[in-house]
Amino acid sequence: MADLNKFRYTIESCNHCGQCKWLLPGRMYGWDFASVCPIHDYYNFDAYSGQGMLNLAGEIMNGTLPHGEKLAEMLHTCTACGACDVNCKNVRDMEVLDTIYELRKDCAEAGFLPESRKKTAENVVKNHNIYGLPHEQRFSFLPEDFKDDPEADTVLFAGCSVYKHPETFLAAVKILRAGGVKFRVLKEDEWCCGASLWRMGDWEDAKELIVRNTEMFREMGIRTVITACAECFGSFRSGYPRFVETAFETKHISQVALELLRDGKLKLSKDELPVTACYHDPCMLGRLSETYIPWEGEIKSYGLHVPEKQWRRGEHGVYEPPRELLNAIPGLKLVEMPRSREESLCCGQNASDMDPDFAKHTAEERRREASASGADTIVSCCPFCREALDAQDEYKLQYLDLTELIADRLAEEVES
Amino acid sequence: MSFTEQTYRELEAVVGRRNISRDEYILAGNRAKTPEIPFAHKSAEAIVLPGSTEEVAEIMRICKRWELNYVAYVTACLPTAYASKEDTILIHLKRMNRILEINEEDRYALVEPGVRHVQLYPEVRKRGLSYAPPAVGPGGSPMVSYTCTGGDNHVQYGTSRPTRYLLGVELVTPDGEILRTGSLQADEGWFCPESPGPSLRGVVKGYSGNAGRIGIVTKCAIALDVCKGPAEIRKEGVSPHHKMFMDGGLSRVYVFNYTSMQDVCDAILALGENEVGATVQKYFYLPLALMMTDSANEFWEKWGDFKKIFPMPLVVHIAAGSVREREYEERILFDVVRETGGTRIPREIEKWWEEHMDYFMIVCRLQSVLRLGGSWFPNKAYAESTQVMCNVAESVDGFIYDYTDTGKIFDAPKNIQIIPMEYGHFASSELLFMWDRNDPDGFAHMREFTMASAESDRRHHFNEYSMYGKEWAEKITKAFS
Ligand code: SF4
Ligand code: SF4
Repeated sequence: MADLNKFRYTIESCNHCGQCKWLLPGRMYGWDFASVCPIHDYYNFDAYSGQGMLNLAGEIMNGTLPHGEKLAEMLHTCTACGACDVNCKNVRDMEVLDTIYELRKDCAEAGFLPESRKKTAENVVKNHNIYGLPHEQRFSFLPEDFKDDPEADTVLFAGCSVYKHPETFLAAVKILRAGGVKFRVLKEDEWCCGASLWRMGDWEDAKELIVRNTEMFREMGIRTVITACAECFGSFRSGYPRFVETAFETKHISQVALELLRDGKLKLSKDELPVTACYHDPCMLGRLSETYIPWEGEIKSYGLHVPEKQWRRGEHGVYEPPRELLNAIPGLKLVEMPRSREESLCCGQNASDMDPDFAKHTAEERRREASASGADTIVSCCPFCREALDAQDEYKLQYLDLTELIADRLAEEVES
Repeated sequence: MSFTEQTYRELEAVVGRRNISRDEYILAGNRAKTPEIPFAHKSAEAIVLPGSTEEVAEIMRICKRWELNYVAYVTACLPTAYASKEDTILIHLKRMNRILEINEEDRYALVEPGVRHVQLYPEVRKRGLSYAPPAVGPGGSPMVSYTCTGGDNHVQYGTSRPTRYLLGVELVTPDGEILRTGSLQADEGWFCPESPGPSLRGVVKGYSGNAGRIGIVTKCAIALDVCKGPAEIRKEGVSPHHKMFMDGGLSRVYVFNYTSMQDVCDAILALGENEVGATVQKYFYLPLALMMTDSANEFWEKWGDFKKIFPMPLVVHIAAGSVREREYEERILFDVVRETGGTRIPREIEKWWEEHMDYFMIVCRLQSVLRLGGSWFPNKAYAESTQVMCNVAESVDGFIYDYTDTGKIFDAPKNIQIIPMEYGHFASSELLFMWDRNDPDGFAHMREFTMASAESDRRHHFNEYSMYGKEWAEKITKAFS
């Protein structure tokens, strides 16, 4: 059951300073590219921001505001990107994003979940993927003679995006094989990671799925889950511990590839790739990927948390491995966007079902920023960011998926 | 009259459908209590987002016609940014967010209300210029900081308070008239706050800022200083551990501790006489401890030690034009500190300052005082000569222990800062205190303490904090009317 009272301290600590909407001084850049909250940037009203959401949560908690469809619509148009959370936590001990999650959950339990989200949840429950496509087609692209290592304690988790971008999965396979990593693929046993469920507030279905996946990993003796999908990565690390105790480690393919490269097990081609690239940090690989550590306790006078709480402030996201890999590609010049790492601007795709115009505006804003940084190429490693950022427009940027790019630049070809 | 469907339609015709709302959830997004006050604000009837001065003027005319109350705001940080009466609309100035000009020759920036510090500050830095960023965080509005609030700041030692930096102003009166002050009145541009004829400065900003003005400022010019630091500041790290570095050859930070307030003030005055230091502050020790720790728990772990290490810290930032100049200033600084009995605090604490220069970063981190729950209030926030401020600080001992020792307010009795301005010619003070939000009597304690503080000021004939100076305000009003 949702309980907003758990976040009373956060809700009542907000002093409406607005720091959740603007770039932190440590990354200040100029007039342009200064806002970090995509919904506030687009809708302008404060209700569309971490600050406003806390006010809404407060009134719902106190019973002075009813639940409603419009509230659910606003809550789900928020991309849950967590920029507000990181910005607020720069100087405070507050849980802004978790309050937004709790409010979503509260709304869902009160019967208010937007139709498109209901559909996604239904898809996951029935077909085990967010698109509602037949489950048996999940790995239908794999060649008959595809061989993995069924005894391996490492799994390469494809994620639902494999329906749309099997090439990313195959690229990950190629990297792991080239590096000599033993791994297995779950094939028909692989179901959605559950990110969309718990993030939308469908806690019940999320729990069932997450327990199922975790149990399966345990039974299979899986110790490491590797994924090339930022969303799955963030879900395993920051979502699963909300429901279960996890006994596996999650690694992103960029971390694995970098380790292999450093150990000399991977080699990149010496051929130059003459591009100027910027790297877009996906929210779920960056600031939202820190491992969730459950905390229950009491907040005493003057903010003392008993027992002590381990804060997730966005500092330990996966920021450097993708950059180090890009820097290792001969000829590639890496430039930074003003809003990068923990201050990355969300691509907006998460809300494309809620308001396509908003999502389009946000993606365009990000491409404008990439272009302004001098890049001709935008690299990322999230299938959803790809949908937002891989577009033909005035900025003339090519989009490259990091996993595919690395696989493509391997010096020694390995049959996949 | 009251807010009606017709009113809404008229406002909508001005700003367009997208920029007005009376949706219950949109209104609730701007209706909350702040940690300092135990009651919720009233609900506004609608929120409008004008995009230009002309739209603001039109909205004001509508408000006048329909006898509506209005509150204009940008960040909603202060309790005054909310509706307090029925039939109030909120005018959110976010969309008016252009930096219209940065004049490097005449050294001013012309901004609209919605421009944020995190936007303006780096733009002026890029041009080798600077202004005093107040402690409101990156999302604060420079225009609001300079026109609406009392606004002392941490770099005023080598500069001055924002009031002195406000130049030409464009203001919409409650009648919907567009008024331009300063050199604008004579069509001479934005560079000067005065022009021939009666001064209109007081129209824009009385002593108490927004409490003393009517109308809405829609543009203002802010004077800029030449910046002694590098145009591009080296930045490192990921939040919450961002670091910013000044050029070590030209910039140094020293933190000393004192045991007597008079000694600190003597040091401030001596440094000022010699014009040594770019920034000099008798800082408050509680925010310093909070800024240097990562969480409330870490603060609690270290507070005991910090209290002993720097109960009365004097922070001196030297920013010089050459290494020789820096060394010269350092020599004088050390002489002054020796003569006034200061002791240098451990290096790692100074290092923290070095890693967080410049002051935009520092003042943004000052928001971490809210980490203790958010219930805080400033007292003794006024300015006088440095010596008077010293006397004010010394007077605090006379009443504060009744509150700190009994747990009515946070136990930080020495938490007063004195920030000299214009090289110590005068100074501002702030006694920042916190109370426990979890305590049902916390708010009452805050009021009680504030009254005791005001009473002490009256006893000592100090400048009473304006908000609680009703009695004096009445006397003055009576005398002058
Ligand atoms: S959520 Fe945090 S950053 Fe945003 S307004 Fe509230 S206190 Fe400030
Ligand atoms: S999660 Fe992202 S979109 Fe939602 S309020 Fe926070 S910053 Fe804005």
